[in-house]
Amino acid sequence: MKRDVTITINGVEHRGNIPIRMLLVDFIRDVAGLTGTHVGCTFEGQCGACTIHLDGEAVKSCLLLAVQCDGKDLTTVEGLGREDALHVLQEEFHRHHALQCGYCTSGMLMNAAEFIKERPDADDDEIRRALVGNICRCTGYTNIVKAISAAAKRSASVWRSADT
Amino acid sequence: MYPSAIQNYEAPDSLDGAMAAIAKFGDDAHFIAGGQSLMQAIKSRIIQPQTLIDLQNVQELRTLETAQGVTIGAMVRYRDIAGNAGLDGRLGALRDAASHVGDRQVRNRGTIGGSLCWNFVSACMPTVTLALDPRLTLGSESRGRREVGIDDFLGEPMETDRQEDELLISIFFPQLEGRHGSAYGKWSLLTDGLPVIGVCASVSLDEGNICKSARISVGGLETGPVRFERAEEALVGVAYDDAKSHEGAISIAAEEAEILDDVTGDEEFRRQLIRSVGLKSIVTAFERAAAAGGGQ
Amino acid sequence: MTGQTGTGIGASLPRLEDLPILLGKGKYFADLKRPGQLHVFFLRSVHAHAKIKSIDTRQAEELPGVVAVVTGEMIKNELLPLPQPSGAAGLSGRNPTFWPLAVNKVIFHGEPVVAVVAEDPYIAEDALELIDVDYEPLPYVGDMEAALSPDSPIVHDGWDSNQIFHIDFHSDRSASEHKDYVKRVAELIETAPHVIRQRYRVHRCGVTPMEPRGVLAEWDDSDGLMVWITSQRPHVDRYVFADVMSLPVSKVRVVAPVDQGGGFGVKAAIYREPMLITYLARKLRRPIRWLETREENLMTVGQERDQIHDLELAADENGKIIAARDMGMADAGDGCAGMYWGYNMPLVGAARFPNAFDIPFCEVQMRVAVTNKAVLSPARGLGIYPTRFALDRALDMMSRKIGMEPSVLRRKNLIAELPAKLATGITYDSGDFCKTYDRLIELADLPAFRKQQEAARKEGRYIGFGIGVGAEASGVHSRRYIVNTGTPAYAATDVRIDHRGGVTVYYGDAPHGQSHKTVIAQIVSSELGVSPEDVTVIHGDTQSTPYSTGTVAARGASLVMSSVAVACRELRQKMIRVFAHDHKADPDYGDYEFSDRQIRHRRSDNLRSGFAELAYRIIVNSIDLPPGETGSLEQKAVFENDFGMVSFSAHGAFVEVCSKTGRIKILKYITSDDAGVVLNPQILVGQIEGGVIQGISNFLFEEYVYDENGQQFSTTLSNYKMASAADVPAIDVYHDAGTYCPNTPLGARAMGEGCIGAVPGALGNAISDALQPFGVEIVETPVTPAKILKLIRN
Repeated sequence: MKRDVTITINGVEHRGNIPIRMLLVDFIRDVAGLTGTHVGCTFEGQCGACTIHLDGEAVKSCLLLAVQCDGKDLTTVEGLGREDALHVLQEEFHRHHALQCGYCTSGMLMNAAEFIKERPDADDDEIRRALVGNICRCTGYTNIVKAISAAAKRSASVWRSADT
Repeated sequence: MYPSAIQNYEAPDSLDGAMAAIAKFGDDAHFIAGGQSLMQAIKSRIIQPQTLIDLQNVQELRTLETAQGVTIGAMVRYRDIAGNAGLDGRLGALRDAASHVGDRQVRNRGTIGGSLCWNFVSACMPTVTLALDPRLTLGSESRGRREVGIDDFLGEPMETDRQEDELLISIFFPQLEGRHGSAYGKWSLLTDGLPVIGVCASVSLDEGNICKSARISVGGLETGPVRFERAEEALVGVAYDDAKSHEGAISIAAEEAEILDDVTGDEEFRRQLIRSVGLKSIVTAFERAAAAGGGQ
Repeated sequence: MTGQTGTGIGASLPRLEDLPILLGKGKYFADLKRPGQLHVFFLRSVHAHAKIKSIDTRQAEELPGVVAVVTGEMIKNELLPLPQPSGAAGLSGRNPTFWPLAVNKVIFHGEPVVAVVAEDPYIAEDALELIDVDYEPLPYVGDMEAALSPDSPIVHDGWDSNQIFHIDFHSDRSASEHKDYVKRVAELIETAPHVIRQRYRVHRCGVTPMEPRGVLAEWDDSDGLMVWITSQRPHVDRYVFADVMSLPVSKVRVVAPVDQGGGFGVKAAIYREPMLITYLARKLRRPIRWLETREENLMTVGQERDQIHDLELAADENGKIIAARDMGMADAGDGCAGMYWGYNMPLVGAARFPNAFDIPFCEVQMRVAVTNKAVLSPARGLGIYPTRFALDRALDMMSRKIGMEPSVLRRKNLIAELPAKLATGITYDSGDFCKTYDRLIELADLPAFRKQQEAARKEGRYIGFGIGVGAEASGVHSRRYIVNTGTPAYAATDVRIDHRGGVTVYYGDAPHGQSHKTVIAQIVSSELGVSPEDVTVIHGDTQSTPYSTGTVAARGASLVMSSVAVACRELRQKMIRVFAHDHKADPDYGDYEFSDRQIRHRRSDNLRSGFAELAYRIIVNSIDLPPGETGSLEQKAVFENDFGMVSFSAHGAFVEVCSKTGRIKILKYITSDDAGVVLNPQILVGQIEGGVIQGISNFLFEEYVYDENGQQFSTTLSNYKMASAADVPAIDVYHDAGTYCPNTPLGARAMGEGCIGAVPGALGNAISDALQPFGVEIVETPVTPAKILKLIRN
């Protein structure tokens, strides 16, 4: 019924003897105490508020068991940037008023963080399609799209200058 | 909301290990592939597994080979299929579907094998593979490996020919001579949602751009994905750009389809969707075939 | 108007709320934990209407980890039911009595029947499977019209009918005057050259927030009850909990968390579950926590709209409306929610029916039925969405009947002079509807569009343009609010300056995405010349904040921000008086300027002081003050306006409808809004964009679905379909044709509530305009491709 697991989150190892049935999102929130990752649905995995990175890829932590991530490396919103070194998306979300209640924001950020690395040149329609897995109820999405677009452009130019 | 208690969790790292695990734990064990559907069922407690056998560490299931036909391991993800430029022309429909299943996060986890074994009533992968006619390899500890065609593999919705102690290992699309193209399209109320109607067309052309053979499957019907052989026959002998005949063929499917009303769309609407979505798939499949060189 | 420091009123100051949230350090309800807390799961009714014959909880009680299993029978003598006086002042309906758990019978699919309390939420859910409830099904009452017929089965035992509410709006007409008035309406409709008679229907949908509800309650024998709750109205909750548990109000403290994941009205009503959680905390002497699942949320709260309007609209030959009669009907569900009772929304919708139009004779009635469904509960655009749809659609249908461009007919009938009083008694204080409307028409460039439309039709493409307008509440005054929700409307804030010049604003509402912290800081910055960083806002805690009625009804920019400004101005004047006294200068308020953390005399440059220095002098070094003056710089201000204030929006939607698939594409969506003086443009635009998208999502995608037995089918976010980014357009918001509001100290109008109101008219009109070659008029929502095809075929 229970298993020992070691899960690295934002570079810190978290150990626990946990029930097999424990959802990854509950491990993150209750065992590791990282409450920036949110839950917005019952079992359907539609809202995307719990999106994190598993080995660098955006996944919904409510559709995984914690035991499946034993030995894995996760990043949550708390690991995306720091107060004195915000991630480019965090800066642009702030600048463009891309959050109101903020409940969906961590999931949006984590999905977008992977997306803009893959597709720094994405246009607004492509950004909108990339956000299908994250529901926002407050903003109407316009400012989220603007923020992601601005962040993508900025990070693309950083990489371009790094290349030369 | 929360899964019911689970007694055992196994994460084998080899095919043999996976088959041994399912043999050992038997009826109350479930394989978990990407888990994007299974976890919904487990969290809603529709399924209450005693044992979960996680396939994520079985590397043999994750390979996608494009030599001598195309072999896709059961644990190859939508993301990998959508991003594989080698899957064009004949297998273009696979990418059409994989690029629009669920959302980015789902595509980062969800697998082709998981979807085929789950065989959800209107899911995209069963519809697409039904038209692409692959052969599936299954294996069990006691009986070894066997191959089965997709027509025989897919049963009623949520049912397949996979036995309880069997593992779906790979999906093989044999190399074909000639020029082939396929395409898949779907309609759902919200972008990239589970389709109300999805149509896959797969066609082969001769040197004169005349259709030699075709397969058409429609998903979103209560019966699960269905092929329409009369529509397929109607395409044989048709020129790749004969739009009127394409429309005629898909109309046969639209008329023959067994459709029940539901809240998402009434019968006439669904028939209309088969026509409009299906026509697009057929036209695109022909274009891809015409653009293809010989062989896969 | 830009603030003196660039961070004050009128600046698009980036939000002060953002940083913790962006870093994952927001403080939401689910993030709270108390030592030794227990978890509650509810077993809910599987029937829409059934007698409870027996409940067997023995097996569940024996499950290790389960602490208590509670039924309605067990609690009905231990706490009082609703309604209680705390939230029932002035209500005009018939309010059903209800307890948190079903007693004797269940009245909707999803009603709480048994509560399990366990050490672990996983175990609580396990225990639900071990409970056996024996039901005897009763006939399902699911159709509002049938429910109101005399032979319908009855939802609430002891009632003689299912009518929970009826109103025939008299305004200030006496009974006999009203009789004549109604007769006149009938005559005018009878003899008018042009009449539209049509039933309009808006389906059950709402604005469910991303964060579900939650309650965490803790009992202490000396301090009493401590409750953390997702709430828009913590002070109202506090009174209700005290009433229900028969506690002194001083023994109840309610805190709405600093961050809340949206509300949109859903978190404003008093529902069953929180009352039970607070009771259990006292009973079990342990912290008790309930976190709602999305399924529970979709099944029990957030279901709004659901109205039918039988509308007759009469116009003269020139397209001037001469009379209207709107007979409304609504489905309240079971009506069991404190403050709103399922009928408040249709009441408000009907009261505001005439919208921005001058309708000389207008009869409006609203009948509301109870049914075996979840209670109708508040959602943004409270009650108005269906009435806006009905009238805006009828105006376009009238235009076509007369052969007039709808935008012209609409303009002709706009209320041209304010203040104005509607036939239903609603008042509008100020503004210029025509100016804001004309700006939309200018932006839409209709002559160019009509040419494109004609060309497109020749190619078999169907594009259309539609307008919707909304004259919406900018804060509600108490005279009306008490009748609506049993609570007053005034805003109260308490502004306290400390000895270092910091300013803390205490306010009793509970914002949940409205950016009040930022806007309050901007106002304080403008009024007192401090920097926004110097301002701290404490909200949602009943222990430290003055009673206030909640973050509802567009009270922000209208009432709350006004009270902050009023308090700041009082403080500012006191500081001037002391400063002038100390410097033997003339205390003429107009001569002093507060900026850059300084107070200075406008004409004598040497007459200046640091803001902090002066604050210290008054608060700590409080001797030798001017005669009659005391120390302290703390000011409470209550703001209310007794005349209905109004904001106005005109929306224009351009759509393309595919005649083959019925697919609707919104090509462009423009709004022209009168928000008065805009306090923070970026935040205003954000509110409008969000509200419009909610309205669009309601119109095209979202629907709470009940089958013929009252089983709910929209219990997951897969089935209750909310628009994603890929399903909706960007919104072009213009607020440059606004007008100063003379009744607020800052000139601002609030739009958060009402900005959704114009959406259903704009969309319904645009789609109908596109489909004129097929003669299609949209009269029902939601509008799905399947329905479009059906309409085209017929």
